[in-house]
Amino acid sequence: MHFDLQTIWAILVTILIAGYIITDGFDLGVGILHGLVAKTDIEKRVTINAIGPVWDGNEVWFITAGGAAFAAFPELYAALFSSLYIALFVVLLALIYRAVSFEFRSKEESEGWRKFWDQSIFWSSLLVALLIGVAIGNILAGIPIKNSAIEGDLLHGFVYAEKFPISFINLVNPFTFHGLFGLLVGVTTVLFIIMHGVSWLIWKTEGSIAERARNIGMKVWLPFVIMYVICTGVAYMISFKIGDPSKLKFLNLPQDMMQQVASMVQGNVLPHALFRFPVIELILIVLAALCAVGWLLAVKNMKGGQAFFFTTLTFIFAGFAVMFGAYPLAVPSSLGLEHSITIYNGCSSHLTLTVMLVAALIFAPIVIAYQAWVYKMFLFKISPESLKKELEEAKEH
Amino acid sequence: MDFVLLVSRLQFAMTAFFHFIFVPLTLGLSTLSALMLTLHYTTGKEIYRDMAKFWSKLFAINFALGVATGLVHEFEFGMNWSVYSRFVGDIFGAPLAIEGLLAFFMESTFMGVFLFGWDKVPKAVHLLAAWLSAIGSNLSALWILIANGWMQHPVGAKVSMFVAGKRAELADWWSVVFNSVADVKFWHTATAGMVLSSVFVLSVSAYHLLKKQHVEFFKKSAYIALIFGLIASIGEVIIGDFHAHEVAKTQPTKLAAMEALWDTKSHANIQLAVWADQKAQKNIIEIPLPIPGLLSFLATHDFNGKLLGAKDLQKMFEAKFGPGNYIPPVNFVFWAFHIMVYLGFFFVILFIWGLIKYKDLENATGFLKVALYSLPLPYIACWLGWATAEVGRQPWIVYPLTDDYGKILLPDIGLKTAQAVSPLTNIEVIITYIIFLATFTGLAIADFYLLAKFASKGPEKEAELY
Ligand code: HDD
Ligand code: HEM
Ligand code: HEM
Repeated sequence: MHFDLQTIWAILVTILIAGYIITDGFDLGVGILHGLVAKTDIEKRVTINAIGPVWDGNEVWFITAGGAAFAAFPELYAALFSSLYIALFVVLLALIYRAVSFEFRSKEESEGWRKFWDQSIFWSSLLVALLIGVAIGNILAGIPIKNSAIEGDLLHGFVYAEKFPISFINLVNPFTFHGLFGLLVGVTTVLFIIMHGVSWLIWKTEGSIAERARNIGMKVWLPFVIMYVICTGVAYMISFKIGDPSKLKFLNLPQDMMQQVASMVQGNVLPHALFRFPVIELILIVLAALCAVGWLLAVKNMKGGQAFFFTTLTFIFAGFAVMFGAYPLAVPSSLGLEHSITIYNGCSSHLTLTVMLVAALIFAPIVIAYQAWVYKMFLFKISPESLKKELEEAKEH
Repeated sequence: MDFVLLVSRLQFAMTAFFHFIFVPLTLGLSTLSALMLTLHYTTGKEIYRDMAKFWSKLFAINFALGVATGLVHEFEFGMNWSVYSRFVGDIFGAPLAIEGLLAFFMESTFMGVFLFGWDKVPKAVHLLAAWLSAIGSNLSALWILIANGWMQHPVGAKVSMFVAGKRAELADWWSVVFNSVADVKFWHTATAGMVLSSVFVLSVSAYHLLKKQHVEFFKKSAYIALIFGLIASIGEVIIGDFHAHEVAKTQPTKLAAMEALWDTKSHANIQLAVWADQKAQKNIIEIPLPIPGLLSFLATHDFNGKLLGAKDLQKMFEAKFGPGNYIPPVNFVFWAFHIMVYLGFFFVILFIWGLIKYKDLENATGFLKVALYSLPLPYIACWLGWATAEVGRQPWIVYPLTDDYGKILLPDIGLKTAQAVSPLTNIEVIITYIIFLATFTGLAIADFYLLAKFASKGPEKEAELY
């Protein structure tokens, strides 16, 4: 591990992704849950109101994570999004439907209209949660990209070696290793997102909705823990083959790190790549598991704030465990380690990284401060009763 | 043309056009709503409160689709233009990231407070939120236009060799930020948003005034729109002139197409209408404005200024960059540009006319009808402006750094659109193009339906349900 600009940016991008999962995660969770926890129209309105003022600001984490990846790791941004073209397309489509569903749903009285947007909220939230997990899993296990510069093509950068439709099907093909891992991580992510949504609903609402959320929470806990254990277990089996060891210089790693990697190679394989910092890894994974236990207790006692705190920590620990495990690889190539994108051959110039770091250091604290302030302002409890009262008051006005 | 390239271009243009249906209204209406709210809190009059509520509700309906289309836009750079993205990412990515961090967070967070905070948060906080959200929108326009300005005029950069290939790298951050092209682009776009929103408010008000309903409310709204619109539309024309001046200096091939100028000329004339034959490199029809040298004056600030014609530019670019077609489609760019300009003058007249008639506005049926049916015009002007800017840039995606009316300073940084596209398959691009097109069209229709429904309802004292 080095403390250079590339590493700092790897940490910052991880923070942005974590920021996205933590903030938009609970409203994705509420989106998945809202058909289950809300039975009447007014309950549905309360569930949507529970995320109404904040979901758009939450989605900006996604946009900013994308922008930061573009600025700090342009080779990665270009290669990843053109490689995962159809998968990203589905995510975008789902995010679009989600965005407009919240806005459109209540604007028309008819039942058909509302049913349509309710369905749209459910499916789009589910798809986003699943596909983000699938993408993370696939990337960790390695996807077939190649570095065109190795063959002397100086324009195309990292390109996907397979063509559609194989390229898309393989992402969720349980008979390929990266597809299988993608599916496992995808399901685990969905379960986590549901737990996070439960935390929020207990925190923000009271009465019938919070009760139902709690019951669902108690049911998804065990499946989540089991899936998380399976994922970390399978991650231990990840390894990468090396095609041409003389080309490893294209990874552009600092000298000592290159030697470290070389010393770990067995045969022509870099084994269990996700555990290059086993002690840190294990500590983080254990902490994530402990937080999951804390969450169960909090939900049991209807302590929404605590539950939210624990799901947040669970993800932060799990997310950083993954980041440390992958470091310094960003997108390992399944074609041969030498074709991989690392944080050293995918990054921007020193000047850009520096300029961006200054901008991040100035603005990120400000953003976090006012988002926290706004959250605090909107953290009063709501329930079907409070909404009814509000409607009546407005009529008298 | 290569199919993937063609569809990727169509898809990008389509997303941009949809995005720019919603964006300019956000830019202007967020400011107008904040202004109305300020009037309410300073005068204490209820009518301004109702106004802010009414117009911000329309704005909220409009906003969701702006977000949805913008989201697609952001990721399309990587999805469809991966070669472009890796080539320019070192520079182009930075303003995009800062846009998110600095502008989008501010805009969306405080918009939540503004829209959901009625009677729930303290008044001062509510007002502050309205302004911060408006400022956030305009800041987002600033940063995206710094990015776009850079691809039009790539200052502050050098071309370097990196392990993953050749690419443009940042040499001077401040010259990217203070790029003169980005500067005029921002002011021109910000004023375009204000003009568009003013026409929007005016047109909805005209609808109600024609029906003689909520007269006081909509007369006051129309007044704000007329004043705001007049200032903005005059500003628009003036900044538009600066804009053209920048184009002349930095993108001579675009200027030649905008003015259908085939031969190099000093003392050049403005054409009011032209039909060109692109193959024969000449104009078939020309209707010039009878003020000799005006074009030279506007472009170079000198009546005798020399402007390079398309024919010479083609030769010059061929000598520098090898064989190819370096002149964008002249008829298209000429008419896109000219109709925008004519509309620009029309808006000034519209607002003056309205102010003259203002005393008895509810009975000025002629004016109200014109105002009502003017609603699509500022949208068209905006689209045409972008068509000028983006089609006029072809065949380049990054225009080689050029200054002083055709002096090419950094040819290596030029990247052609045809080189920039991702290595995708036909089927992938056509699937996404068709589904995005269908989705955006469907959602836009639903959105217009809701906008029309709430706009024609008029102000009502009902609770914000959501
Ligand atoms: C209400 C909308 C509107 C109106 C009335 C005008 N414009 Fe405009 N124009 C735009 C909206 C716009 C725009 C959509 O905002 C563009 C697209 C690119 C940009 O930066 O602004 C633009 C682009 C644009 C460009 C091309 C910039 C480029 O290639 O980068 C020029 C030269 C002008 N404008 C000049 C004018 C002049 C001289 C006008 C009036 C006399 C005028 N515009 C009215
Ligand atoms: C002239 C060009 C552009 C201007 C003036 C502009 C301005 C804006 C504004 C004012 C918004 C606020 C939301 C709304 O639309 O109602 C917005 C949203 C957005 N725009 Fe653009 N934009 C432009 C082009 C682009 C491009 C090319 C991209 C792609 C990088 C982009 C990405 C986005 C995104 C991601 C959002 C959603 C932000 C949110 O969640 O608040 N925009 N844009
Ligand atoms: C929102 C207003 C905008 C509109 C209406 C617009 C319109 C267009 C059009 C018509 C094209 C296709 C040109 C052609 O293929 O002949 C295009 C291409 C493109 N534009 Fe824009 N544009 C807008 C803003 C932007 C901004 C702000 C950026 C960058 C930050 C941008 C970047 C691009 C890129 C990368 C392409 C693809 C390559 C190309 O065809 O040149 N556009 N746009």
